[in-house]
Amino acid sequence: MTLYLSILTQILITVVAVCGVYVLTGLTGMFSLGQAAFMAVGSYASGILVVKCGFPFWLACILAVLIAVVIGYLVGFPTVRLRRDYISLVTLGFGEAITALLNRATKLTGGASGFIGIPRKTTFLLALVSAIAAIAIVSWFKTSKYGRQCIAVRGDELAAKAMGINVPKIKMNAFLLSVAVTAFSGCLYAFFITYVDPTIFGWKKSADWVIMVFFGGVNSLTGSVVGAFILSGLPEVLRSLDQYRSIIYAILVLLIINFKPSGIFGEWELSPRNLKALGEKLAKRSRKEEKTDGAA
Amino acid sequence: MALLEVKNISKSFGGLKAIQDFSLEAEAGEIHGIIGPNGAGKTTIFNVISGVYTADEGSVTLKGKDITKMEQYLITREGMGRTFQNIRLFKGLTVLENVLCAFDPQSKYGIVGGLLPTPKRLSEEKRGREICEQYLELVGMADYKNERPENLAYGKQRRVEIARALTCHPKVLLLDEPAAGLNPTEVSELTDLIQRLSVDIGFAILLIEHRLELVMSISHKIHVQNFGKTIAVGTPDEVRQNPEVIEAYLGKEE
Repeated sequence: MTLYLSILTQILITVVAVCGVYVLTGLTGMFSLGQAAFMAVGSYASGILVVKCGFPFWLACILAVLIAVVIGYLVGFPTVRLRRDYISLVTLGFGEAITALLNRATKLTGGASGFIGIPRKTTFLLALVSAIAAIAIVSWFKTSKYGRQCIAVRGDELAAKAMGINVPKIKMNAFLLSVAVTAFSGCLYAFFITYVDPTIFGWKKSADWVIMVFFGGVNSLTGSVVGAFILSGLPEVLRSLDQYRSIIYAILVLLIINFKPSGIFGEWELSPRNLKALGEKLAKRSRKEEKTDGAA
Repeated sequence: MALLEVKNISKSFGGLKAIQDFSLEAEAGEIHGIIGPNGAGKTTIFNVISGVYTADEGSVTLKGKDITKMEQYLITREGMGRTFQNIRLFKGLTVLENVLCAFDPQSKYGIVGGLLPTPKRLSEEKRGREICEQYLELVGMADYKNERPENLAYGKQRRVEIARALTCHPKVLLLDEPAAGLNPTEVSELTDLIQRLSVDIGFAILLIEHRLELVMSISHKIHVQNFGKTIAVGTPDEVRQNPEVIEAYLGKEE
C-alpha cells in the first residue's frame, strides 16, 4: 500500500469515528470524553476474537460492535438521566477506567506493551465503503424522527417532554448509535494498524474528535466529516509538525470560537437541494455584481 | 366525572407556598381563565397539572385517570398539550419540523426506519407532515412552514407553539400567557383563534393571562389567585364584582 493510500485509509477511519461523535455531540448536545474508549473496546474485542478465538474478521466485527453496545448501555443507563455537564465527567471516568483495565489485563490484552499480531484486513476500499456507509446511516438518522427529537432535546428538554418526547430514551438511542459507529471504527483501526496499545485511546483522542465536530460545524454532518478530513489529515501531511498538533488544534479552536462559533459549515448540509439553492444564490450575486459594474 | 379534575393541590418550594389548595373541574368545550398578580402561583399550577412538578398534596385526574405522579411526557401522551409563557420553540428546526416533533412520539416506525429509509418510515413521515400541515393551516401559519421560528414575529411564533401543542392531540390545552408581548391586533386575532379552536376541536382550555379584557371576554369560568390562594371562582361577571378581587387588583379602600 502506498503512503498516500495508507494516510487516506487512516483519515477515513477517523471519519467513521467522528460520524459517531457527531450523533452524540452535534445532534444531541452531549459531550463524551470517553468516546475513544469505545473505539478501544471495538479494537481489542475484534482483535482478541480473531487472534485468540479464531473467529472470521466480519463476525468478530459484528460481535465487537455488539459488545461495545452492551457496555454502552450499562454506562449510558445512569448517564443519560444526568445533567449535561455530568455526562462529560462520567464518560471521562469510564474512558480512563477502560485504558487502565486494558493496561492491567496483561494476559488478554498484552498490557502496556500492546496487543500484537492482528492480521491486516482493512483495505482502502473497505475503509472507503465503511465511511460512506457511516455517513449515509448517520444522515438518515438525522432526518428521521429520532434525529429530529435529538435536536429538540438538545434545544429544550422541558419543552421536549411537554411534547411527549421520552428524553432519556432519545438520548440513549443517540448514545448507542454513536457507540456502535465508534466501535466499528475501532475494528477497522485494529485490522489496519495490526497493533493496538491502550495509550492511543485516552481522553485526548475523544477531545480531538469533539474539536473536529466543532471545527466543521456542530450542527452539520457535512461539517463534521470535512472537519475530520482536514484536522486528521493535517498532522499526516505536515509530519514534522506532529509534536505541535495540540498547539495547532488549540489555536484553531480559539479562532473558530471567536470568528465562527457555529463552525465552518454552520447548519449547512450537502444535499442536491441545498447545492441548487447555493448555486442560485451565487448566480444571483454575480448577476448583481455585473449590474453594479455596468452602472459604474 | 369531569374531563379534567384538579383536587386540592398544594405545592411548596422550601418555605414558599406557591399553591395552596387549588381545585378546578373542566369539561370539554370550556375555557377557564386563571388570573392573578405576578407571583400568584399561576404558572406553578400549570407545571403541576402538566407534570413538570409533582404536587405535594392533592390529585390531578384526566379522563378519570390519575396522572398526579405520572412522568411529564406520559401525561402529554394522555392528552395534555401546553404552551409556555416565554416561547420555547426548538432552535435548529424549521416551523414544520418543530410541529413534527410533537408528532414524532406518535409516529409508528422503529429504529430500523430510523437508520434506513424504509417504506414504513416514508409513509409515516408523509402522514406526519400532512397532519402537521393541517394544524399549521388551522392556526394560519402554513405559509411559513419552511421558515426558522427565530426569524418570525412574536405573534407568529405563538401560533407555531399552539400548532405544536395541537399536534399532541390534547384533550386539555394549557395556554400560559398566550397574549404576552403581542400588539392589540395580534391579541384580537389570538382571541378569535382560541375561541375557534375551542368550538372546532372541543377540548378544555385553561388560560393564564394578564390581559383582563381577553380573559373576561372568552372564559366561561375564572379562577382568581393571589399569593398561592384562590380568592374567587365564578363567571366573569361574578368575579368582576367580587370585593376581594377588586382589593387584590386595585388595593384596599382606606
